[in-house]
Amino acid sequence: MSSRVEILNDGGYRSDGRRQYELRDIDIDLSQQGTADGCCTITHGLTQVLVTVFGPKEAKMRSQTLHDRAVINVEMNVLPFSTGERRRRARADRRILELAATIKSTFEPVVQTTLYPRSQIDIFVQVLQQDGGLLHACINATTLALISAGIPMTDFVCAVSGGVHSTSPLLDLTTLEENDLPHMTVAVMPRTGKVTLVALETRLHVDRFADIFRLAGDAGQALHKEMKRAVKSRATRLVGAMETGMKPPMGGADAFERDVVMEDKMSF
Amino acid sequence: MAVPSLSKAERAYIQASLQASPPLRADGRSLLDFRTVLLETGVAPLANGSAKLNIGKAPQEGGGGTEVIAATKLEVEDVETGDGVDGGRLVCTVTCSPSAYPHLSTNALDELQYDLTILLHQTLSHPTLHPNNLGILPHKKSWLLSLDLVILADAGNVVDALFMAARAALWDTKVPRTRPLQYQSRKAGDALKNADAMEVEGLPEITSAFDTRDMARAAADFELPDYWDEGEVLEGRDRWPVCVTLNLLPPSHFLDATLLEEASTPIRLLLAYSFPHKSQPNLQAMRFIGSGEVVLTQLKALNADGEKYARSLFDSLETKLRDEDIRRNVKARDKFAVR
Repeated sequence: MSSRVEILNDGGYRSDGRRQYELRDIDIDLSQQGTADGCCTITHGLTQVLVTVFGPKEAKMRSQTLHDRAVINVEMNVLPFSTGERRRRARADRRILELAATIKSTFEPVVQTTLYPRSQIDIFVQVLQQDGGLLHACINATTLALISAGIPMTDFVCAVSGGVHSTSPLLDLTTLEENDLPHMTVAVMPRTGKVTLVALETRLHVDRFADIFRLAGDAGQALHKEMKRAVKSRATRLVGAMETGMKPPMGGADAFERDVVMEDKMSF
Repeated sequence: MAVPSLSKAERAYIQASLQASPPLRADGRSLLDFRTVLLETGVAPLANGSAKLNIGKAPQEGGGGTEVIAATKLEVEDVETGDGVDGGRLVCTVTCSPSAYPHLSTNALDELQYDLTILLHQTLSHPTLHPNNLGILPHKKSWLLSLDLVILADAGNVVDALFMAARAALWDTKVPRTRPLQYQSRKAGDALKNADAMEVEGLPEITSAFDTRDMARAAADFELPDYWDEGEVLEGRDRWPVCVTLNLLPPSHFLDATLLEEASTPIRLLLAYSFPHKSQPNLQAMRFIGSGEVVLTQLKALNADGEKYARSLFDSLETKLRDEDIRRNVKARDKFAVR
């Protein structure tokens, strides 16, 4: 018996009791936060990320705008108590800047920035807790925050991380697994099947790459369903709230008549 | 602190309605009413103590309000070679999320962060508040208690929120139990002399290198005994102060200002009080923020008023913290026992 934790045991279970292709449970909260236009808190297992979106709006610095499209600005902040060991990361920390740049480049082809020339879209990412799969949690949360801000995108972006233990691929790694296994993060656009991000920081055998890549694509589809359900239930709730707001006060159908639905054609 | 742009007319309108009799506020509160304060402890699983606090969450929307997360972490520091101080030390850091202040530039945000950090750190790390169970080995090892506060959203009255969250997180903090250790090399001739000592340890055959009986200053290192809970609470946790911000608008003052009200108040007085058990309350910190001025004779009355508000704030916070203690510890234990 070794003191090391078995990544994948003979029964096909991982250290936290999941199967090979099983994702941790995802909790999506799209409720409003502060003055943000859109925001989303994703709790993916023990990883928790809060993303807020502001914009499209006039840029703080005029010089940074582009004349034909909006600029996406991503700022990331890792809370000092999010990891086991307390470590203060400055805002200009290399690792954080790199993650922010990755998120930015993932969303640039998806967000229809050409609709908002000379403006800026701010994406602020707060990492509240981390236990593996930080990048994919950030990307999924950003997708949902952008959607709840009503910013037009060509598709969802669903990201998932995958790794390989000897020859068996695993999905959605925890920190424990990430430390021991080669792993990568794949972001797919589920409707078109396009891929906007493949991030690989460790060495991975070429023969295993295709496996994980395909698997991550499938997992993206599953995530898409989950994310779509969250958006739909939020929208349904908002519509429901609007309808109750418009309901006539007790028995007076006449009051409701006053809300005239504007029609496109005009009668003279 | 984060002053949004406010026109002269708006400012005059808000000031006039606050000074009217009876005074009017946009959300229908009276001058001394607080918005709803929500508090939860134990929100960060990897911290030694943590709390999330919200002032003025909108009931239907599930959003809005000032939101602050506070968490403490304990680290071992070396007194002789490292930065450690005998008896431990406390360091506070305040981080402002850019989403709380979207209109501020990075530099302005850093400055705000720095100001709040200084305020919190100076108040909370004062020797009168220092908990005396942060030492591990005298002159050798001690705990560094770092308190991190993050402002996720600001809808006014952020300083009161920070102090309340800090108090809750420190209240929630558990210091791991430690046991001093001493290493002894046994000489062959000592075997007889140590016979009785070994019997006490209950290890008649094995000569142990560990000797935990002598807790004196000879101890070289410490160990963390495996125990069912996470440790003991910080000593003197009832001493941590609460802060009330009096927004002064002569002749009256009001509490818990929203952002717009904050922006239309010329001067604000921060008072941090600590209410230790069985002794007189202490005024731990006092700050003026803003460009207005206050006549010295008013200050005494304001102080007395502030103490009254702080007392009621303290009492309700105390009740809530005890509730949380029960929810997290007693109920969890019962649940475990049932299983």
